[in-house]
Amino acid sequence: MPTLSRWLIRTALVCCAAAFLLGLALVIAPLRAAYPVLAAAWPTYIHLLVVGWITQLIMGVAFWMFPRVQRRPALASDRPGWIVYASINLGLACRLIGEPVAAAHVGRPLGWLLPLSAALQLIGVVTFVIGIWPRVRTR
Amino acid sequence: MPRLSVWFIRAALIALVLGTLVGSVLLAAKGMPAGDGFVRAVPLHAELLLIGWLVNLALGVAYWILPKHASARERGHPAPAWAALLLVNAGVIVVGYATMASAPALLLAGRVAEVAAVACFAAHAWSRVKPFGVGR
Repeated sequence: MPTLSRWLIRTALVCCAAAFLLGLALVIAPLRAAYPVLAAAWPTYIHLLVVGWITQLIMGVAFWMFPRVQRRPALASDRPGWIVYASINLGLACRLIGEPVAAAHVGRPLGWLLPLSAALQLIGVVTFVIGIWPRVRTR
Repeated sequence: MPRLSVWFIRAALIALVLGTLVGSVLLAAKGMPAGDGFVRAVPLHAELLLIGWLVNLALGVAYWILPKHASARERGHPAPAWAALLLVNAGVIVVGYATMASAPALLLAGRVAEVAAVACFAAHAWSRVKPFGVGR
């Protein structure tokens, strides 16, 4: 399995564990009462699962299993993959911090984190699609 | 990769980009004082990513890698799987439009198309869900 796929798949597993922990915290009433900011964490929980876990796992397996374009050396064809990895995970991290902050204080101190998260995740997805598109082909 | 899988997976990638684009606008707007106006696009975002991205991808990869038959048509008759491709994507487009236009009749039609897509694909794939090497 290529290094890029290992990083994507292991980080996907970490996101899955983090999502399940957050999901657990969301249903523990005393914890919700002690940390009202958790009320804003539902979308973060869903996106940790759908983006961090499922989509990142798919990306890792796709970079590994989809037929390679022979013209390019493996290292060069992995380069967009590292941009994908960094963008998706930085974007998720920005969301993890920015969403509760934005819910508590709309437009206040860290309000720029959510637009940054949105831009990073969009860059990650577009880079993934550009990188993988030539590998989705008949023989 | 068979041609039908190429179509399924490319449709999935297009839905991924569109769904992420809608989601990015929603997320960026969340940090803004006037961001609540975008909330009605949430169902479109979910439809594009949960059905358009994940279902298209799953069906495309399943058509590609499920065990094959010994007959000349090693993946079985492709017509139901092609019908699934058309129906699931028609469903995503119709449901996506219906959620934005608040059109319940269209929403129902889109969901019916999606159910029909799954039925078609299950009819195609049922006999291919078997141990590798059996029936070859």
